[in-house]
Amino acid sequence: MSSPNDIQGQYRGTRGELFPLAIGVALLTLVTFGIYRFWGKTRIRKYIWSSTVGDGDAFEYTGTGLEKFLGFLVAIVALAIYLGIVQMLLFFAGLNYSFDPDTPQGMLALTGILYLNIFALVPLVFYAMYRARRYKMARTRWRGVRFGMEKGAWGFSARSIGYGLLTVLTLGALFPLANFKLEKYMADRSYFGDARFEQNGKWTALYGAAKHLFIGLAVLVGGVAIGGASQSESLMGIAGAVGYIWLMVGFVYYRVHAFRYMAANRTLGGEITFTATPTTGEVIKIYIIGTLVMGAVIAVFAAIGGALFAAMMSMAPMGNIGLVGVFAVVLYVIVLVLLGAMALVFITQPTIAHFITTFTVHNADALNDIRQRASETGVDAEGFADALDIGGAI
Amino acid sequence: MLEADGSFFDGSSAAKHKVTLRLDEARGILTFDGEALEQPEEWPLPELRLLRDQPEGGWLTFALHIEGEDETMHHEARLSCRDGAMNAALRHAAPNLTRRDIHKGTGLRVLTKISIAVVAILAMIFVILPAMATSLAYIMPREREVQFGRAVINQMHWFLAGDFETDLTCTNEAGLAALAKMQSRLTEGPDMEYDLDIKVLDHEMVNAFAAPGGQIVIVRGLLDKATSADAVAGVLAHEIGHVENRDATIGALRSAGSAGLLSMVLGDFSGGTLAVIVAEHLISTSYTREAEIRADDFALDALHEADVSSEGLATFFDYILEQEGEGPAVPAYLNTHPPSKARAGKSRAHAATQPDTSSVLSEAEWADLKSICD
Repeated sequence: MSSPNDIQGQYRGTRGELFPLAIGVALLTLVTFGIYRFWGKTRIRKYIWSSTVGDGDAFEYTGTGLEKFLGFLVAIVALAIYLGIVQMLLFFAGLNYSFDPDTPQGMLALTGILYLNIFALVPLVFYAMYRARRYKMARTRWRGVRFGMEKGAWGFSARSIGYGLLTVLTLGALFPLANFKLEKYMADRSYFGDARFEQNGKWTALYGAAKHLFIGLAVLVGGVAIGGASQSESLMGIAGAVGYIWLMVGFVYYRVHAFRYMAANRTLGGEITFTATPTTGEVIKIYIIGTLVMGAVIAVFAAIGGALFAAMMSMAPMGNIGLVGVFAVVLYVIVLVLLGAMALVFITQPTIAHFITTFTVHNADALNDIRQRASETGVDAEGFADALDIGGAI
Repeated sequence: MLEADGSFFDGSSAAKHKVTLRLDEARGILTFDGEALEQPEEWPLPELRLLRDQPEGGWLTFALHIEGEDETMHHEARLSCRDGAMNAALRHAAPNLTRRDIHKGTGLRVLTKISIAVVAILAMIFVILPAMATSLAYIMPREREVQFGRAVINQMHWFLAGDFETDLTCTNEAGLAALAKMQSRLTEGPDMEYDLDIKVLDHEMVNAFAAPGGQIVIVRGLLDKATSADAVAGVLAHEIGHVENRDATIGALRSAGSAGLLSMVLGDFSGGTLAVIVAEHLISTSYTREAEIRADDFALDALHEADVSSEGLATFFDYILEQEGEGPAVPAYLNTHPPSKARAGKSRAHAATQPDTSSVLSEAEWADLKSICD
């Protein structure tokens, strides 16, 4: 398979470098009441991007904390105006619906009215997701050349809602269709320099990747139903546990195999192709080890904290109860900061590294013909995603 | 002159150029040359920048500083080198290698944007949303408002009762007659927009509240603690004030509009949830304090027209003051109601201006009202 014209992904980041960076960022975020998070996220991305290497050349993340902060300001003002008005109008319209407040059904209707504001939010969430991805692409470079993505956030939002409804109406059976079409929508609008990505393939092919999701679901629902019908609690319990674990593994299996399929059927500039060979086992192994390490550290902290706490309670006169409270808060914050940094170092980074190191670019010579694309101006960064709190740590 | 191998990307294409770097400290430049380059590139050392937050391990990527539109303030070209000696020498020789370049006028731009955002959000929360809630409350059909109010009362009822079956409504006939008399004395004077629906719920809590659409609930505990019928009349007049001002409806609409705004603004960080709770409390405090003062004024007017002394209302505020005295003092801006001391004083001062007053109920009627739940 491997030819001199291939580029195999490499990852150079280390736990020893990322961990202090993550801790420092978390502490600065804490003492600045969250303002530093925009700069912190930028630094972590810079580290991960520049650790990602192809043919000896590192990726570069050129986003800045300041543009994220300013984009966030723009977004919260827009959202405050939009949500304030739309939420109130939806509630008002809901109250004008006739219901009988003296029946439980009527009260249920009222609860439904209180949740109407979700309809104000949903289109924005998908809009923000596309904008965030577009921003990330616009701020990524490799070999000195920018990635980029066309505008199309509202189109993505409309399609997401449409395919989402279709998925819900078919009880999840058309989930691969929704996933494929939305990924294709984004991929087909993506560029490296002046070369466009193109997503080929068929959505039905994703059913192979989704098979364990359906099996897990069948075991869970079928087992519990049969167990319930035959009044066998042990059958219900076993089916529930097996089905749940199967479903969880099935999610990872789907992510991994859908990624493989999409990568294998993607082209860049019509002549560069890709192969991705991540494995379900490796991702699950990373997750289990990461969880165990984090669990162990938390257990140690809980033990130390508990012992100190008991000692302080027995020694301190009652007047010092405030001191004990402060100690508890400090311990809580330390654990929170540690957990965030450890999740990044023990789960996120190794998972990213696994996906990168199993990624191959074919016909790499064609990269030499790709030209630079113009700088993206006037981006409001990923302010909407920040404000709506979607997208996670990186 | 120090030499090392490196890779160069000219920024106009993704083509990779193998180059040889030469550090010329005497001239203060880094030059590099390769087969594909038409002529050797020369980068002045003071303009050389190292990209931030790169992993260690020998590979470093450099860029050239320029003033321009680019978000990084770097030229698009990149130069990377894995030679330890060269990288160490560059760290030593390039004076501004790790400088953070910022566009001119950034400080002013940031300050302007922050100011605009703060003003816009404060205007939204304190001006636009309350105004809109008030307008909507006034165009809402009366029957819908009553329906919503019934639902609110039902929820409160279930909360007090603890289940859906128990009916706490007090139905003693003599008590209801006394209550009706109190209502009619208080509402004879002012022009009333709403048909009132007042009931007493059998629970020890000392409270009274007004729901949308003219529905008022007095909780029995209030009758137990009140020293006179006039005190109850004062509280009832205050609640009628809330009804006439549509405060409950306006409040519900306003909080529907502002739901989630603050958690969005303050964001998600450790301790952020607490900050959101405190800020939301501060905002609702500022709204309700105004509404309380207006309801107090309504109550004093209604009592005045009914020739009922507002001394009773003053004694009720004394009672609240006494209850507050047991806990730590709450600063005025943290309390949803105006300070009880001031309210008692205002009621008492008003009572002094009332020429002829008569108790709102006779002693017998007051006794009936107190036993409305029996």
